[in-house]
Amino acid sequence: METDGILIERSARGRPDAFVEVVRRHEVAVHGFLARRAGRQAADDLLGEVWVRAFGGRAGFDPAYSDARPWLYGIARNVLRAHWRAARAANRPGVADAEDPWDDVIDRLDSAAAVQAPELSRAVRALPPEEREVLLLVAWEQMTPAQAALVLGIPPGIARSRLYRARAALRPVLAGEGS
Amino acid sequence: MKEDMAELERLGQVDPPGPGVPDAAREVLWSAVATEMLATTPPDAAHGSGEPAAGLTADEIARRIAEETTRRPSPEDPAA
Repeated sequence: METDGILIERSARGRPDAFVEVVRRHEVAVHGFLARRAGRQAADDLLGEVWVRAFGGRAGFDPAYSDARPWLYGIARNVLRAHWRAARAANRPGVADAEDPWDDVIDRLDSAAAVQAPELSRAVRALPPEEREVLLLVAWEQMTPAQAALVLGIPPGIARSRLYRARAALRPVLAGEGS
Repeated sequence: MKEDMAELERLGQVDPPGPGVPDAAREVLWSAVATEMLATTPPDAAHGSGEPAAGLTADEIARRIAEETTRRPSPEDPAA
């Protein structure tokens, strides 16, 4: 199977339709990324925007990367921020903070899971936003710390140290919830 | 790492997109793709004597878009 890098490079060199295969591979994952952070309705609305932005910026993708997911999550993250900023500017309810909308995220998560793990929800909410972001990319999107670093545009070492601190902060709660 | 993340993973579980959502998003993408493909059509192709630079005719692009927008996910489709 051709890598995402090969397909994206081809799409930038005269076969733009090759990009659609990349989209097929990652549409469920990117929708999940959006839905976990902004709710299903917003994810439904924003998915196409992610594809259009990614398609428009594909010339900047390094084809040496075989997996486009970190790049696509980075674009989805920017789309989400724009969505939150617009919602906040319009004074729409349910959007507390465009840069750190965790209060909204937790409300939109599956209610049963949130009820079952209230301590964990509170502990995640209490994390510094930059640590929480790395932690959730690893836990929710199955990213490695190096991939999370690509999503966030930070050095891998910083992603690892943020993840370490986040896990250390959650460890007592996770041990308690799991027991 | 996996073990101590299990509870956190459960907290973030969401259902996959509903039927038609990926199709609708791809339709948006195809509009951008088609626009670019048609825009890169060489001048002679625009007059009916050649093909677009991407190797597809305008009719072929239209057909591909129609396929995309009528395609429905199946249980076997990993993209569904």
